[in-house]
Amino acid sequence: MSSDRAAYWPVFFTFVRNSLIRDLSYRSNFVIECASSLSWVLMNLGFYLLIFTFTAEIGDGTGWKKYEFFVFLATTLFINSLMQTFFMPNAQEFSELIRTGRLDFALLKPIDTQFLISFQKVNWPSMSNFLFGLVLLSISLWNLTERPDQPLVITPYMVIAYPLFLLCGVGILYSLMIVLAATSIWLGRNQSLYDFWFYITSFSRYPMEIYQGGIGDTLRIIFTFAIPILVVVNVPARIMAKPLGISSSENVMLACFAVVATAGSILGSRWVFKRALLSYRSASS
Amino acid sequence: MTRQGYNRIMPPIIEIQRLTKTYEVYQKKEGLLASVQGLFRRDYKTVEAVRGIDLTVDQGEFVAFLGPNGAGKTTTLKLLSGVINPTSGNATVMGYVPWKRENGYRRRFALVMGQKNQLWWDLPAQDSFRLHQKIYRVDANEFQRTQDELTDLLDVRRLLNQPVRNLSLGERMKMELIAALLHSPEVLFLDEPTIGLDVVAQHNIQKFLKHYQAERKITVLLTSHYMKDIAALCQRVVVIAGGEIIYDGSLSGIIDRFGGHKIVTLQFEQEAVPGDLSRFGDVIEIQHPRAKIRVDRNAVGRVLGSILDQYELADVSVEDPPLEEVIAEVFSLSKGQSPEPAAIH
Repeated sequence: MSSDRAAYWPVFFTFVRNSLIRDLSYRSNFVIECASSLSWVLMNLGFYLLIFTFTAEIGDGTGWKKYEFFVFLATTLFINSLMQTFFMPNAQEFSELIRTGRLDFALLKPIDTQFLISFQKVNWPSMSNFLFGLVLLSISLWNLTERPDQPLVITPYMVIAYPLFLLCGVGILYSLMIVLAATSIWLGRNQSLYDFWFYITSFSRYPMEIYQGGIGDTLRIIFTFAIPILVVVNVPARIMAKPLGISSSENVMLACFAVVATAGSILGSRWVFKRALLSYRSASS
Repeated sequence: MTRQGYNRIMPPIIEIQRLTKTYEVYQKKEGLLASVQGLFRRDYKTVEAVRGIDLTVDQGEFVAFLGPNGAGKTTTLKLLSGVINPTSGNATVMGYVPWKRENGYRRRFALVMGQKNQLWWDLPAQDSFRLHQKIYRVDANEFQRTQDELTDLLDVRRLLNQPVRNLSLGERMKMELIAALLHSPEVLFLDEPTIGLDVVAQHNIQKFLKHYQAERKITVLLTSHYMKDIAALCQRVVVIAGGEIIYDGSLSGIIDRFGGHKIVTLQFEQEAVPGDLSRFGDVIEIQHPRAKIRVDRNAVGRVLGSILDQYELADVSVEDPPLEEVIAEVFSLSKGQSPEPAAIH
């Protein structure tokens, strides 16, 4: 115990380990959860396959053709599965910790409280979607690189930037989630957390080119600059799929904005979290 | 160095000055209409859970907080643990201001709550202990040594690999205690650690706490409703009621201070107890030829004199009333004087 600094990695690995032990001790539950989230993904994939039997491209001239869009879908899967594996169970638990007063224990520990409540549960079955995303990405990229007309060339920049911007996307969504969860401290209870989360993030699941016209432009501006969820999937997906209709200068601008938005979201959510903790009243014993 | 000598040169380990905590509590009215009105306008009542208390605790003391439900005992422990912020006043524990939540402080104390559990429900306690080792950065050898010592003392070594959900309440409480003590805290706050436990389990936990505190010379603040816990463990009792400290001293001193009566047991020579005993005091019990009466403390001498003048007695004894009775009296008195703060939800 030489310094006051907490050892974050060993604690994180212990969370990961303990959660895996817990998940594996309920074997059937583990299998059912994997199967149900995979079947949801398969249904979605079937739905988009159906759409592409009617159209070759989402939005004329955007370049979001079938395999470009499946890269987008795989990106959505990566980000959502990371959120569901690492943060969703914790955000829901956080609401419960506040209501029952068990947040007391987190506040006693000599480690950052936000870290503790953000990472303590890891929901491993949700990673099945991540694996499925890898398969989908591989198939889509293979098709894009093999296409006769302007085949996609995967550059080292894409290989490095793609995972980094995936993490930026996760950072933005995490910030949004922690802000929503922290409101439980003021509200006493926030059961609609998951619903609200679902409503908001459903906008991030489509290429931003679809938001056009009066309503579309308004939505695009709100969800880019006020709550920057549109950059979450769009930026990494554009980096990897390179849809031909979008200029590279626009991509660079958007990528720069995504970095700023990620830093702003994380700092903003940290501030909200700390403010909320000041109002924590605990619950009666 | 003796403990007394040590205490004299050391500053107090816990210092509380005019500590106050008030809550705004929503006053929900009955009925649907009132609930709808509550959506637009709400009435709040200010509840003073802790009202400007002052307290000093020295290193190595085992202090009990005694008080009725809602007296402010748990709120005080939560303030000292830094879980909640005070409305006003100061407190330091080992020189730290608790609600600043510095890691340096949080490494050196522990809070155990009998009504809340922190161990992972689906995992063996061993896995939660390992997590604590990482969070508190306890050296692996030291961790193993402390865990072995604690599990042996509490006789739970065989249960270490059993999921916590399969443990009995008493076993779970023992595991909670171990989790709290793995980092060898210097100050320990115990909030009703034996609540809901059977007599044997209560006794085991008492025995352990007594041994552990004596061995390690740590400072302990305990709240409990069980007088036996307090009688077995604490030399010093702080009675809190209505958010204020109304007594601070030894357990037996409570009787001297608040016990306004003595119990006089009279054994008469004659076969039947005389019928007019009530003029000397409240008659509590009659079992011919024996009677028990409650007599005002200051009148014991005079009353005994009169009785001896008028009747032949085979035996007589004067005792203090049972402690529980005195404390119940103190609690009901304090409730009459000041409104009891409601539980905080």
